[in-house]
Amino acid sequence: MERVTGVLRVVGNAGGLFHLRDGAVVAVDSPGSPGADTLLISSGIIEEKDWAAALVESVETRSLQTALVARGVVTATAVQDVATAAMQDGAFAVAAGEIERCCVDESVDPPLLPATTGVEPDLLLAETTHRLDALATLPFPLSPYRDRVVAVCGTEPATVEQRQIIELATGRRNARDIAFALGRGLHAVTVEISRMLGDGLLEIAEPTTSFSFSHWGLTSLHPRAPREVEC
Amino acid sequence: MLVLSGSTFPIQEWSELNYDALGAELKKLRENVAGVTDTVIAATDGIPILADVAKNVDPAHISALAASGLGIARQTTEVVGLGTLGQTVVFGSEGYMAVYAIGRLSLMVVLGDKGLNLGRLLHESRPVIERLGAILAA
Repeated sequence: MERVTGVLRVVGNAGGLFHLRDGAVVAVDSPGSPGADTLLISSGIIEEKDWAAALVESVETRSLQTALVARGVVTATAVQDVATAAMQDGAFAVAAGEIERCCVDESVDPPLLPATTGVEPDLLLAETTHRLDALATLPFPLSPYRDRVVAVCGTEPATVEQRQIIELATGRRNARDIAFALGRGLHAVTVEISRMLGDGLLEIAEPTTSFSFSHWGLTSLHPRAPREVEC
Repeated sequence: MLVLSGSTFPIQEWSELNYDALGAELKKLRENVAGVTDTVIAATDGIPILADVAKNVDPAHISALAASGLGIARQTTEVVGLGTLGQTVVFGSEGYMAVYAIGRLSLMVVLGDKGLNLGRLLHESRPVIERLGAILAA
């Protein structure tokens, strides 16, 4: 039986791309979760200048991982660990959002950092289902996209991670936005925010906080008509 | 007609801009496209009309930059023969700024983080621009 090599595009919000090689998933890119590049740089494993230089060097070799390892700044194992984590997080990000339709797309560029050993779709699906179920059973289940959170005044965070989340919880950001701002996985940040909501460190923001409109009383865009003056 | 101090001035019957309807469109766009962080509607001369932005974003600055950028982009498409301008996008390592013309008199600015779904933004923004144009023209 022929096994698929290509991309499954999931259209929706956040949506995403499942990159397949011989039927196994080697990467999932989603606007709902930080990719391997963001995770590598934000965690301090790779500096931004090394990433930029490796991108240039990989144009000829066609392998960003090879270029990164050749610079001596990271091991192949570390890259693979992050690539696999980003793939699982991407699948969670797609599944936790709205899915409108799916299609096979052959015109998509290959992923920057694919997993060397692909994951069977059944296994990835099972892990994603497990993550969604675990989130639903938390004391304060929340949507990583719909719910925007704000810090509760006068509370003291217990950990550095909680403090970082509180600093970003302006009421305009949801878990997905905070995950990108921190450069950490969506699932981990969503679970942490859920716990903080349960502990009273955060609360769901009022709509007027999440969307704060301001205007300056402009009454019209039309040019003013010439003034008539009766003498 | 209103008579003031013996002189007669016509009072222009401008209707107020429908800020609620404009705001509803901006809210929907931010909810429907992952990564959109801030939105501004401005006149093409750089005067802000309506903004939904974080505290560290100045609508006046954003509007002025967007207006000048859109003007250059319009001129570029005309001089180089690129057809009709669709959008201008500034790509930064930490995020994006997209600007869309709303007719001849106004524009919409969309700021996004580094994970912004740019393809979906282009797709979703088209009907939003249509509706914003109708609201602003009413």
